[in-house]
Amino acid sequence: MSSAGGTKKILIVDDEPDVVSYLEMLLHDKGYETVSASNGREGIEVAKREKPDLVTLDVSMPEASGTRFYKDFRSDAELASIPVIIVTAVTGYGGDKYGYEKFLSGRRLVPPPDGFFPKPIEPEPFLKAIAELLAD
Amino acid sequence: MTPDFGLTADGPGNDMLDAASREWLRQHLFNEVPVAISVISPDFRIVEGNRRFTEEYGEWKGRECYEVYKGRSERCKRCAAAETFADGKIRTREEEGTYRHGGKSHYLVQMLPIIQPDGKIPYVIEMSTDITQVKKLEHEKREAQRLAAVGETVAGIAHGIKNVLMGLEGGLYAVNTGIEQEDDDRIARGWMMVEENVTRISNFVMEFLDFARGREATVSMADPAKPVREVVELFVERAAQSGIYLDVHIKEGIASAPLDEEGIHTCLANLISNAIDACTFSERASDHVVSVSLREEDGVLIYEVMDDGQGMDYEVSKKVFSKFFSTKGSDHGTGLGLLTTKKIIHQHGGQISFTSEEGKGSTFTIELPRDDLPELEPDTEKKGDQTSSEPIV
Repeated sequence: MSSAGGTKKILIVDDEPDVVSYLEMLLHDKGYETVSASNGREGIEVAKREKPDLVTLDVSMPEASGTRFYKDFRSDAELASIPVIIVTAVTGYGGDKYGYEKFLSGRRLVPPPDGFFPKPIEPEPFLKAIAELLAD
Repeated sequence: MTPDFGLTADGPGNDMLDAASREWLRQHLFNEVPVAISVISPDFRIVEGNRRFTEEYGEWKGRECYEVYKGRSERCKRCAAAETFADGKIRTREEEGTYRHGGKSHYLVQMLPIIQPDGKIPYVIEMSTDITQVKKLEHEKREAQRLAAVGETVAGIAHGIKNVLMGLEGGLYAVNTGIEQEDDDRIARGWMMVEENVTRISNFVMEFLDFARGREATVSMADPAKPVREVVELFVERAAQSGIYLDVHIKEGIASAPLDEEGIHTCLANLISNAIDACTFSERASDHVVSVSLREEDGVLIYEVMDDGQGMDYEVSKKVFSKFFSTKGSDHGTGLGLLTTKKIIHQHGGQISFTSEEGKGSTFTIELPRDDLPELEPDTEKKGDQTSSEPIV
């Protein structure tokens, strides 16, 4: 990918500036480089330009939503193999925190996401999942 | 025994039932349909009843319909049978009754005249269908919808709060790690995040409370154009600052109507504010037009707010009126605007709908049929302002 053996680059897609700041701090503190986008459309542009090693994705955003981003991302030959972790406050039926993950995983046209973290995230498992996905 | 309704069998034709089969059908249909049927004479006596009728109402021979159906000793005040005897029209209405073993029942009652060739009406047929179960299902469905709405609301609140919580945790993380790393900038940034999110959560709570409490609608005879003019005046400057032209069309001579003026004002303000946002978010930088109009068609007041902004994609358009749905990110609204608008329009007996095309713009239409508008409180009836068509902008 972008950084052979060097710093890994993570793309944060979220329309909440505070969430972006928080994730940036968490990831910088672990030595990752970050880039960000505030909606799905911008997310695709940044992904193509920056070639990140991993993406964290919010679901409900203005312009193009996360679901749309995910579908476009997974069907783009250039981007499809980059791991995507969903970070969302979307709640499923009956308050199911993982409802959206089940929804996405149930789509036959796209593979399930590589990770799923309901907001507010727990930093440790979140960082652990990223470290595992980036260790190859 | 079945009545002779004056139908004469013409004998079996090539594509007709033979007389015996018709007779069989008449007898069996009359007795087997799951509907209580009686035949009433002009002096309100029941002269015939089918099996279901006999089962439900007991002995009827020679008794008056009001006695058998309602247990009354004199004729009903609004007697549907008398009306049908008089004008020969079929009548349908819903009525409540009581089962013989107790419990409320609902009936769909139909009055059918038997009309002779000379136009005389010798009998009226009363058919009552028990729709108690249907009514019960209707009620259960409404209740389920209400509960689903509550569920959606809770999910919406949770969504908003979770983003705020994440902002607060981010702020705390920045303050804590800032202290560890002796990084004053980071501490300051974290503290700002905490402050911002505390403000956000307070605003959230205030808006929820306002929405939950709702406001008392004050209905008075009002000029339907007045709220349009007021709201446009309110937004003209904000629109101009964003390079948006606010265009107003008010049809002349629209009569006053019983309206909750403040409510309509709120609705239009929400729609115009959304339209301006849609233009601001649009990729095309300038020369946007938001057009607001009022007209009347066939006794329906029609308010329309049209923009040539970003429009909505399919996913967004599905959620427009759902609770707390917002695409505007942290700095704008809680997603209550359109929900409140819908609530106010429904209070007026009206409808709100929209069309939208991604990248081209959206049009929101409020339709208020005059017949369904709320009734005036007896002492609030006053003449509204004179309608005018003066352009505002």
